[in-house]
Amino acid sequence: MIEVRNLYKRYHGPFGGDWVLKDVNFTIPDNVSVGLLGRNGAGKSTLLRIIGGMDSPDKGTVNRDCRVSWPIGLGGGFQGSMTGRQNVKFVARIHGGGDRIPEIISRVQDFAEIGKAFDQPVKTYSSGMRSRLAFGLSLAFDFDVYLSDEATAVGDAAFKAKATKAFKDRVGKASIVMVSHQVGMLKDLCQAGVWINNGTATWFDDINEAINSYHKSIGK
Amino acid sequence: MQSAKRTPWQITIGVWQALFLREAVARISADRVAWLWLLAEPIAHVALLVWVRTLAGSLRIVAGAEFIPWLVIGVTLFIMFRNQMNRGMEAIAANRGLFAYRQVQPVDTVLARCGLEGALSTIVLSLMIFLFSLLGHNVVPHHPMVVLHIWGIVWAFGMGVALIFSVVVTSLPEAGKFIRMLMFPLYFLSGILIPVQYFPHDLQQYLLYNPMLHAVELIRTGFFETYRAVDGVSVLYLHQWVWGSVFLGLLLQLRFKQRLLAQ
Repeated sequence: MIEVRNLYKRYHGPFGGDWVLKDVNFTIPDNVSVGLLGRNGAGKSTLLRIIGGMDSPDKGTVNRDCRVSWPIGLGGGFQGSMTGRQNVKFVARIHGGGDRIPEIISRVQDFAEIGKAFDQPVKTYSSGMRSRLAFGLSLAFDFDVYLSDEATAVGDAAFKAKATKAFKDRVGKASIVMVSHQVGMLKDLCQAGVWINNGTATWFDDINEAINSYHKSIGK
Repeated sequence: MQSAKRTPWQITIGVWQALFLREAVARISADRVAWLWLLAEPIAHVALLVWVRTLAGSLRIVAGAEFIPWLVIGVTLFIMFRNQMNRGMEAIAANRGLFAYRQVQPVDTVLARCGLEGALSTIVLSLMIFLFSLLGHNVVPHHPMVVLHIWGIVWAFGMGVALIFSVVVTSLPEAGKFIRMLMFPLYFLSGILIPVQYFPHDLQQYLLYNPMLHAVELIRTGFFETYRAVDGVSVLYLHQWVWGSVFLGLLLQLRFKQRLLAQ
């Protein structure tokens, strides 16, 4: 269960900043997958980062009673000058992989299917290969909740199918909180939705209603 | 992979281990001669200084110690401190991508990097002792415990200073240039090249405010039986600086953690 209470967030930069999130409240029950919707810049990624514990709110709290992954996305998390294998080893060590590192590596390799590129520097990867590696890496650990920030956006059809299947296999064991603009993917994977608009968040028990509200707001 | 819930201490140890190995790989394989440069830099440094001092001539006598080993010890100690500071203060900016994993805290990146620098310097020092012994110089420490003590203390000092400056440099990137410039006068005022005994007493008083001078002099007394450090050198004074800086550094890391993560 993830509980978000009275969450406020703003960025303190040299140019100041308005509230990105104002008084956000919702509770994600166990084993319910949620899609985060909103236009660009609405604060979806910010919310995901706060849920993942990467960033801290200015006010309010987030309670995580479960094992939550890092936000799986396009940017960050990999060191470009190191190979895929080295990056995987690093993350496995951080997460207490210990002597299971070889097993984790083979799981990532199986999922990512990037062949020889696994032993080449990550900076030589295409964006699709990176997201395959990132997704495979997070799936090698048994988290209760996976956070995905547009991680599937650049993948090809085979990869999307694979990712979808991986989550369907885990229904009842794990859930996902995803930021995505791909309606099909959201409908496939999520039951509930959160629509973020003008800094406030609205919870929908049904993802379709969340998608409708979001589309209405952007006049589609 | 399913594992039992880890304690914060276990997580921290795991992160340090991972960061240390990662930094080591990056440092040794940065380019084709990176591993060579680790050894070549201090040796080249010493060789250059010896050459300059030979040209200068008259100053080659240090009371109670052989000149070249005397120089080697000071330079190696100072290079460790300098590398820890210069590389440690950039650690947070260089590892920004890793803060995607909430287990990794800014302070961990600085500590891992300084730990690695210290370990590499220790290897370099051991090799230098071996090498200069082979060349017939007397560089085997006469009081090994004193040497280990001062070496360890300066290692901690480098960490403390790096912890402080990493906060400063991450918040104010421009400050990095000035901090690096500070290293130059510090080098000359630490008695590495010119024995402080040669300075007039009135000046020595002020030079003794510099903790690195204390460290350099003290480690030399550990190496050479007959070497006598400048009057006023104090282990306590050095310790005060070291633990003061470590404490202040950790405090700053704690206080500004969110700001360091956010940038």
